[in-house]
Amino acid sequence: MLLQILISGLVIGSIYGLIALGYSLIYRSSGLMSFMQGDLLTVGAFLGYTFYGVMHIPFFISLILVIVIVFMIGFGVEKGVISILVKKGVLPIYTILATIAISYILQNGSMLIFGSDMKGYPQIFKIPYITIFGRSFQTEAILCIGASLLLMLVFSFFMNHTSIGTSMRASAMDPMAARACGIDVGLATGLSWAISAGIAAFAGMLIGPVYGVYTTLGAVIGRKGFSSAVIGGFGNMTGAIVGGLLLGVIETLLSAYISSAYKDMIAYALLLVFLFVKPTGLFNERAIAD
Amino acid sequence: MKKTMKKTLGPVIGAALALALPFILRNGFDWNYGVQLACFFLLYAIAVSGLDILFGYAGQISLGHAAFFAIGAYGSVMLHQYANIPVFFSMIIAAAFATVVGAALAYPASKLVFHFLSLATIAFGEVVYQFVSQSPGSITGNFTGMFTQTVSLFGYKLNSFTKYYYFALAAAVILLVIKRNMIKSRVGRALIAIRENSHAAEGMGVNVRKYKIIAFAVSAFYTAYAGALYAHLVRYISPDTFAYKQSVMFMTMLLFGGTASIAGPMSGVLAVQALNECLRSAETYQMLIYGILLLTVIVVMPGGISGVVRDVAARIRYRKSGAAAAGDKKEEVDDHADN
Amino acid sequence: MLTTEHLTLKFGGLTANNDISLTINDGKITGLIGPNGAGKTTFFNAISGVYPPTSGTVTFDGVRIERKRPHEINELGITRTYQVINLFRKMSVVENVMVGMHDRLTQNFFQSIFKVGSERREEKEARERAYEWLKFVGLEKRASDLAGSLSYGEQRQLEIVRGLASNPKLILLDEPAAGMNSTEKEELNTLMGRILEKGVTIMLIEHDMKLVMNVTDYIYVLNYGKLLAQGTPAEVQNNPDVIAAYLGGD
Repeated sequence: MLLQILISGLVIGSIYGLIALGYSLIYRSSGLMSFMQGDLLTVGAFLGYTFYGVMHIPFFISLILVIVIVFMIGFGVEKGVISILVKKGVLPIYTILATIAISYILQNGSMLIFGSDMKGYPQIFKIPYITIFGRSFQTEAILCIGASLLLMLVFSFFMNHTSIGTSMRASAMDPMAARACGIDVGLATGLSWAISAGIAAFAGMLIGPVYGVYTTLGAVIGRKGFSSAVIGGFGNMTGAIVGGLLLGVIETLLSAYISSAYKDMIAYALLLVFLFVKPTGLFNERAIAD
Repeated sequence: MKKTMKKTLGPVIGAALALALPFILRNGFDWNYGVQLACFFLLYAIAVSGLDILFGYAGQISLGHAAFFAIGAYGSVMLHQYANIPVFFSMIIAAAFATVVGAALAYPASKLVFHFLSLATIAFGEVVYQFVSQSPGSITGNFTGMFTQTVSLFGYKLNSFTKYYYFALAAAVILLVIKRNMIKSRVGRALIAIRENSHAAEGMGVNVRKYKIIAFAVSAFYTAYAGALYAHLVRYISPDTFAYKQSVMFMTMLLFGGTASIAGPMSGVLAVQALNECLRSAETYQMLIYGILLLTVIVVMPGGISGVVRDVAARIRYRKSGAAAAGDKKEEVDDHADN
Repeated sequence: MLTTEHLTLKFGGLTANNDISLTINDGKITGLIGPNGAGKTTFFNAISGVYPPTSGTVTFDGVRIERKRPHEINELGITRTYQVINLFRKMSVVENVMVGMHDRLTQNFFQSIFKVGSERREEKEARERAYEWLKFVGLEKRASDLAGSLSYGEQRQLEIVRGLASNPKLILLDEPAAGMNSTEKEELNTLMGRILEKGVTIMLIEHDMKLVMNVTDYIYVLNYGKLLAQGTPAEVQNNPDVIAAYLGGD
């Protein structure tokens, strides 16, 4: 029983972690908050369903297609909206609202294009269930955890050991110095939004088979992703993942053993507690207090 | 002389219009629904004016103001239903309770910088939403919602939209006068100073934490009272009305209309209400169009409607008298300061 | 008037102020100079409550103030200007000064929102007093203009009278001459004399040596967070350590 709960917790936790990773990446690179991640996840899930479930394109090719498409959406948003607003020097509230507006467009747009009923992914693997310690788990759920961890490793490698990743980190830390070194800061910023979007879409295709796909799939996940990011220390990549996994497990544990009614409240309560008591999060990221 | 006349003529016409509105709409245009809309306009104007005090003047962002709207609505309905308190008083008590909650939230939240304050307010909004949709023992009716009655003043029931309109109008006028008084006092200056430069404000003797708490508390009162007005106008409340979407709508109304003014929140409410009514028929496309319009306004008109009006008015005035340009510029600035 | 003893301020591994003990005397202009990064503004921040010192004490008129918050310290009679101009740009010039008086005004929240008679009277008086302060620096014609629309020199002046509006005992001026031309610096020199006449003590951070030597009565020199030297302008000017700190190694 406990194992079941833990695995469940890790499944949703890994998704929270991926979303939180996107938030931290954007915050690190632009100093802004993007409220679109959740709905980008939904778009990814729907597109994946269309490619794999309807058009029967093999799963991994669908996955790549989806990531590429949403990656370009993310890049387009940064170049077409965000950098324009930043250049204009508008108050940050406007950029936040702009991302909210885009999230509305994505959410409603998905509903109009794909319909408002829940879609189910056809089975991905030939083996429907994996047995661990005598308990069965949906293979897709295990895929979720495994693929998320793999992506996080790849991401970490990319950011720390490739020249593009290093340019992105440099642009985030000090745009002027980065430009002086010949780094194209505009491209780096666009890439970070694009990568965050891609990660969200990836998460969508992982959770879609486990939870089913529907219009508001990403919205709640998106908001809880903020909690994960804050718990881990906003802007800290490792913290985002750890925060996400922790939140997923705590949420599932509390919901199983105490009450499932207030399951959703836990994420927000934790967010408030951390913001008020330990704003730097578990990994002591740069202080966010005034 | 001309300026004084201009200054009193506008408000006088406005007051006359406001008082006669229900009759104009019903007898002139045969549009009863318009009176109901006018009631909504008034209560949203109060709610958004509250948000303006917090965001427009003190510069503190809140993406969770629907929480106060909910506390006012549910608080008033529950006080009336479970404790038999007359609606007129339950509304005020609920708003006062929201004030305390707002102050309590502000105490730790006042340390947070911008983006994280927005997260805290979102979280707060969600916690309240969760509470009203899954209350212990279902005291809030959960998703079934709660029914209630309208306001009763010494036995005189406000059982028509017209009667409710005048009640709401009185409340709006009182609250807007208080807002205006607050802005033009030392309290108002302290809030604006905090928005402009909180370090310098603190250095000049402003207790920044205390005033942030005041801003949150007052703002909570306004939006909560508006929530109570909503509850007793519609006489039915359910959690759906108080979700995150509502908080975004309040902020949208404020930004559309323009911050830090008396007229700004009102024009924003008017614009968004008009938009919502137009989109009522295309309900499935509503969110999409809303999102597109919001995005367009943000990219094209960050000053909101009153920002555009101010710019246009200033440009006209500037062109009118080229020789007295310097003096006119000062007048334009005076208008800024008066708002 | 104000004494610090062994004032130390550390930010993580960096010691910005190291064991500083100094005295500011009543009715005099005390200067604080030193190369860039010596910790001068940090010192101002430490004594005005922006950063609590890691150790050491600050005593003002017999009261220990090192743990107090900036607005409390303002109440006690210390005010300041800032290295980077920190005006309330979207408020009018006269309103900026009125914020400076914030703590000396007595109307509370409820009196304000109901605009009672006493509030109206106090507001009127405050506005008049603020106008007088503007006259003190010749800015009265710009009273209703937005603070952000003033010229750079005027903004600096406004910051000073905003600080003076609370009738402080001590004003900390952080590089008031930065970006000024020589005429403006002359005016600043005179202004400081007039401030002294009003009974306000001044502590001054400045890089313009001519101005500093001319106007101050006593100087402290900081280098790498520590007190390097102190004395009258003449003494400091001829101190070989001071000369070395400014010319060598920078």
